[in-house]
Formats: sequence, structure tokens, C-alpha cells
Amino acid sequence: MNRRHALRHIALISGGLALIPSCDFSKDDILAAYKNLKVTASQKALLAAISDTIIPAGEIKGALDLEVPDFILVMVNDCFTKENQEKFTAGLTAFPDYVKESKGKKYNELSTKEKEQLILDAAKLEGDDSEEGKRKAAIVYFLNSTKRFTIQGYMASEYIQTEIIPYSLIPGEYNGAVLITDLQKPRING
Amino acid sequence: MANLNIRSKQERTYQAIVIGSGISGAWAAKEFCDLGVKTLMLERGRNVEHIKDYPTTNLLPYEFPHRNQIPQEIQEANPVISRCYAFREDAMHFFVKDTDHPYVQEKPFDWIRGYQVGGKSLLWARQVQRWSDFDFDGPARDGFAVDWPIRYKDIEKWYSHVEKFAGVSGFKDGIPHLPDGEFLPGYELNVVEKYFAEQLKKHYGNDRHMISARCAHIHGNAEYYAQQGRAMCQNRNLCQRGCPFGGYFSSNSSTIPWALKTGNLTLRPDAVVHSIIYDEEKGKATGVRIIDRLTKETEEFYADVIFVNAAALNTNAILLNSTSNRFPNGLGNDNGLLGKFVAFHNYRARVSGEYEGHSEFTTSGGRPTSGYFPRFRNVYKQETDFLRGYAAGFSASRGVGPDTSGIGMDLKNSLLNPDKYGPWRVGSHMMGETIPKETNFVALDPNQKDEWGMPQLRISVDYDDNDEKMVKDYIEQMTEMFTKAGFTNIQSADSKQAPGLDIHEMGGVRMGKDPKTSLLNANHQLHAVPNVYVTDGASMTSTSTQNPSLTYMAFAARAAHHAVAESKK
Repeated sequence: MNRRHALRHIALISGGLALIPSCDFSKDDILAAYKNLKVTASQKALLAAISDTIIPAGEIKGALDLEVPDFILVMVNDCFTKENQEKFTAGLTAFPDYVKESKGKKYNELSTKEKEQLILDAAKLEGDDSEEGKRKAAIVYFLNSTKRFTIQGYMASEYIQTEIIPYSLIPGEYNGAVLITDLQKPRING
Repeated sequence: MANLNIRSKQERTYQAIVIGSGISGAWAAKEFCDLGVKTLMLERGRNVEHIKDYPTTNLLPYEFPHRNQIPQEIQEANPVISRCYAFREDAMHFFVKDTDHPYVQEKPFDWIRGYQVGGKSLLWARQVQRWSDFDFDGPARDGFAVDWPIRYKDIEKWYSHVEKFAGVSGFKDGIPHLPDGEFLPGYELNVVEKYFAEQLKKHYGNDRHMISARCAHIHGNAEYYAQQGRAMCQNRNLCQRGCPFGGYFSSNSSTIPWALKTGNLTLRPDAVVHSIIYDEEKGKATGVRIIDRLTKETEEFYADVIFVNAAALNTNAILLNSTSNRFPNGLGNDNGLLGKFVAFHNYRARVSGEYEGHSEFTTSGGRPTSGYFPRFRNVYKQETDFLRGYAAGFSASRGVGPDTSGIGMDLKNSLLNPDKYGPWRVGSHMMGETIPKETNFVALDPNQKDEWGMPQLRISVDYDDNDEKMVKDYIEQMTEMFTKAGFTNIQSADSKQAPGLDIHEMGGVRMGKDPKTSLLNANHQLHAVPNVYVTDGASMTSTSTQNPSLTYMAFAARAAHHAVAESKK
């Protein structure tokens, strides 16, 4: 998704609502494109690496090829409440330390298998009211949101909906009693 | 406010003026134009031309920046409209935002509006069930509101008239209290919906039915509709974006272009109606005063007959604001009842469940309608401790989804090859009749005005004990029916949503036989000002349970013909 294109769409649909931010990347690495979030370029790179772990490239393109990290940040920036934005960014901020503590390495230095296991494990952390518990809860929230938006941004992308599983605006006459065994299931090799 | 009547009075004079271009106003205009009447149709919103002004109609899901979700900032600024199911990224340009058109909620009321040419006819759910005498007899039999001054025989041929032109698909179901009409081929229910219909028959005899809901979609006989420039419904289920095929009925796709083609219609968008002009010497209404939406200048238009079809509550507002020495409390309001006895449909409760049977089946394709469960309570006689009853929507569906628990290549494979069929999901929502009461009313706020200097509408409408009992009964009965049908995991919910979100507000200018207790006569004329007609939701004496638009259309067509016949006398 081309962000500028997206913003123009919002502007059109919402009747010229001024949402188009200035693009100032100079000050302290904070990405001005996501005006409700304080996300740095390196945090976006980490988010990209995580979405690449969730849906990697193969014969069929992966999340990174489809600019899913940008989609995730657009959704968090535009569609989350302030409270949930704070939880998301707290989780994103806490994640590198969590990786270091549990694996002794940076996220980038882990193997694919290790990354996958780490994310599956981290998504099961249990939070509580303590400082540490809140940090864990934020990490869980961040990872679950990231996974959800990765799946949504990936599946509802132009590439998937035109080249892989073409979306039809005209779905055809209704058949209210189709035998599942009669359905042609195109197996797609991810 | 400048007065800019620069054109001559003659240039601003028509034979008929219709206020509002929504589902009922455009019907009145179409009938007038077909009968050779020079008609001016006023619309407060912008123009929306069929196809040309449907900017999202052919967009694919990925072309919506938030995949059809409404951004938080817009939701927070517009809490009322954000509660509407159809207010999504693909159609939000057709809805009124809270911030643009404020009103006063004496009690919570979600007022859902569409200010544009075509009004809410672009956005409606397109369900069109006829009324019967079991509905028109209601107030008289059960002792509420006032007796309707008309019966089914008065409206029957007008139902046929509008159904044929609009295009209504359905089956002849032979249910006495849900009369059959002029139907195009119906949409078959799916295997589980049919199963539920059979179960109802088995357990309740011929008392409870589940049918395919009649809907205003072209299904078959496309040739007849080609003369309107409309084609078959393509089952897209994207109706709220505006349909480029004209597959469903809207003012924009059907009645307005038809009326324009006659050469008799002048369409004036951006015309916020201020009031109806009453001439005391002539003893009748002579025209309409408007405020241009954009320039804020006032202008007057004149005609022999005026139809008020601004949508129920705005029709009330216009009449209340039309004051004169003769009518200090609003046009035709001699009895002080204008704005009162407002009612709506109770959409609060839902019952859902799952069904493990018929697991070898699923569905394919799309359809524009689903199941309809006509009223069974208190139809022939009073049986319960509440008055009237409820209809219900019903549908069964089955989805196929991926397992999303994994990560990496496993997850990707699973996403691209979804094969997890869950059980059938069944769901139902109630559509309850509410009882019009004097305490449910709208009025003009004495202090607060809108951007055009018009008084804001004060809305004071609430549920009552009858509604609470009906919610309880619907949940009990539907749960029982689901249980008898073998559905499992049955859940019920009472959303407690405010009135208004049903988008079926009605009344305030009710019909009746007696000028002391009603505003309109049997022909939809104001008792006190017979050249002013009201044929939209404001005219409703009671609400029954059926989706009301079809009845407004029939009312508008019937009244337009009446007005023309009167003018020839």
C-alpha cells in the first residue's frame, strides 16, 4: 500500500479532512508519517522483521514485499484508541530488551526457527499489575496486534487479491446447498 | 441572510413542489411527472447522480486505506453515526456526520441521516414486506394511537404499482398477514434456513413461518427494467456504495432519472427548506422558502400543491417551523399534536447459535437478502401481556477459514489454503412494533440553531414497558425455536441500543379520521391545509413490524394521483 496514495484516499473519502502530515524525517529518527505514534525508523525496521517472521517470502511474496509494516502502522495510527496506541508502542519499545533477556541476542541475530519460537512464546506471556507484568502485557498486545494486522494487510493486499486469490466483485448466483466435496479447491503452494 | 429572489416569480412557480428526494419524495415526483405535472423537487443535500457519484462502487478491498474500518478520529467526533452498521469507509460519504448537523437528544436517540439527492434510498436494507389489515386494524383493535383512516384495500393496488416498477423479488408465501405482491423470482433460502422453516412447521404448525425476505432487487425480467437503465442484481452486496447496475431500487437509479426523462422535473439540490409559506387570504399553502446550503441565501418557490417528504423527523421539523398568524404552532397544527406520537422499531435483541447438521453443505455466490420471520404474536387476537409483536430477520451461513495459530510458512500455507469449515452459524434479530405515545415527541429547540439558522430538533423518544416485555418474549421464543430445531451454543443479547439506530423512526404527523386527534386525512392531506401532503414516515399512525419504505412508496404514489385528481376538479 502506497502511503501517500492511501492518505489521498482518506482525504477524498472524508471530504478533504486534513490528515496529510509533513514529512520531516530529520529530528531524532521519529517517523512523522505516523503522527499519533512516536515510532522511530529502527522500530519500524524491527516491526518489519517481525512481520517477515510471521509471513515470510517464498515462491509467493511475503509480508515485507507487500509493505505490510506500513499498513500496520497506518492502522495503529489511524484506527486505534490513544490507550491502545500507547500499549502498542510500549510493547514495541520493550520488545528488543525482552529478546536480549530471553535469548541473549538481538532479534536480527536469531535464526528463523528461533524467531518463530520467540514470537509464539512471547505471545503467551502473562501480564499482571506489577511494572514487569505491565511490560509483558504490552508485549503480548503488541505482538497480537502485529500478527492480526500482518494477516489482514497481507491477505487484503493488491498482490494477493489480484494474483494469488483473485477477489471477485461479482460473486455469482447464490447456491444455498453446495456439497463441500464438490468444491474445487485450488491448492496454493505458499 | 440575503434574500435573492432575482428570478421572476413566474420562473419560480411550478405545479407541484416535493420536499425531499429520498425513497418517498422521488416516488411522488415520478408520479407527478408521469402525469404531466411540472414538478420541483427540493433536496437539502448535494446532488448524487447515478453511477457518476458512486466513488467507491468498484473499489477492491485493498483500495480502502483502512480496509473499510472508520478511523478512530472520525468515530470519536461522530459517535452517533459511528454506531450505524453501514457507516464504513466505503459508504461514509453518504451519511450525515454528527458534527455537521447537530441535534438535541433529550433522551438518547441515534438519528441516522443521509443528506443528498436520493437520501437514504442509497443506503437502505431493501427489505419490502407489505402491510395487511392485521397491521392497519391494530390501533383500533388494541386501543392505542388512533384508528388508521385507510385499510389494505385502499393501498393494495399502489403496493402493486410500486413493486412492479421498483422490482421486488420474492415468493408467493400465502401468509394472510404478509400479503403476496407483484414478485420477480425469489431468492431461495439456503439448506439450513429451509431446515429451520421445516422445523417451525413441525413444532408450531402453520403459526410460525420462515420465508425468503422480499427485497427490492431485480432478479429476472431484466428487459422490463432496461427502460429505466437498470440491470439484474449482481449479488455484490455492496449496495451501500451505490449500485452501478441499478440492481436494487434507489431514487438515484430509478425514480429520479425516470422523472427527469419526462422533462417535467426540476431537481434543486442544496436547498435547505426553511418553511412552507401559508397565505391566509387564500387559506392555503402557496410555496416553500429555502436557504441555499452553500450561499445561505433565501429563495422562494411556489406551487399549487406541496408534498413534504423530508424523512420522518425532518418533515416534522419543517412543519413545526412553518408558522404564521393562522398557525402559530406549526403548519396544520391546530390540535397541538404535531411532533407527537413518534414511534420506531425495536431492534434491540439478537439470538444466535450454531448447527452441527448439514455439515456436508456450504453455500457459494452471493445474494441480496436472507430469511424473514413474520410476526406471530397477537396476530388474530391478544395473547400476551404486551401489545402487538415482532418480526425477525433470520439467516444461516457457513464460513471457511484458515488456522491462524501458527507462524511462518505454516501460517502462510494455512492462510492461502483455508479449509477449516466451522459449524453453520444461525442468527436472528428482532424487529418489534412500538406503540406511539404522546410522550415520545420531537420539537424545535427554542435556543439552539444550526449553521443555516434553523432551530435544532429536540428529540425525546424512549422505550417503554411494552418494549421491554417484547424483548424478553423475543429472546425466550427465539431461543425455544432454536432449541427445538437442534441448534446449539445458543446466545442471546440485548444491545440496549438507543431508539433511532433502527432507522425506522415514524410518526409526528399521523393520519387519522378526526382533525382533533390527527394531522393528516385518509389522502395524506393536512386536515387544515389540504394542498399540503405528507407521505413519508411522518404520516405513520402506527409502526407495525415490517420495514416501512415500501409503504411510504405506495403512500406517495397514491397521494400524488389524488392530488392530480383534486386539481382537475
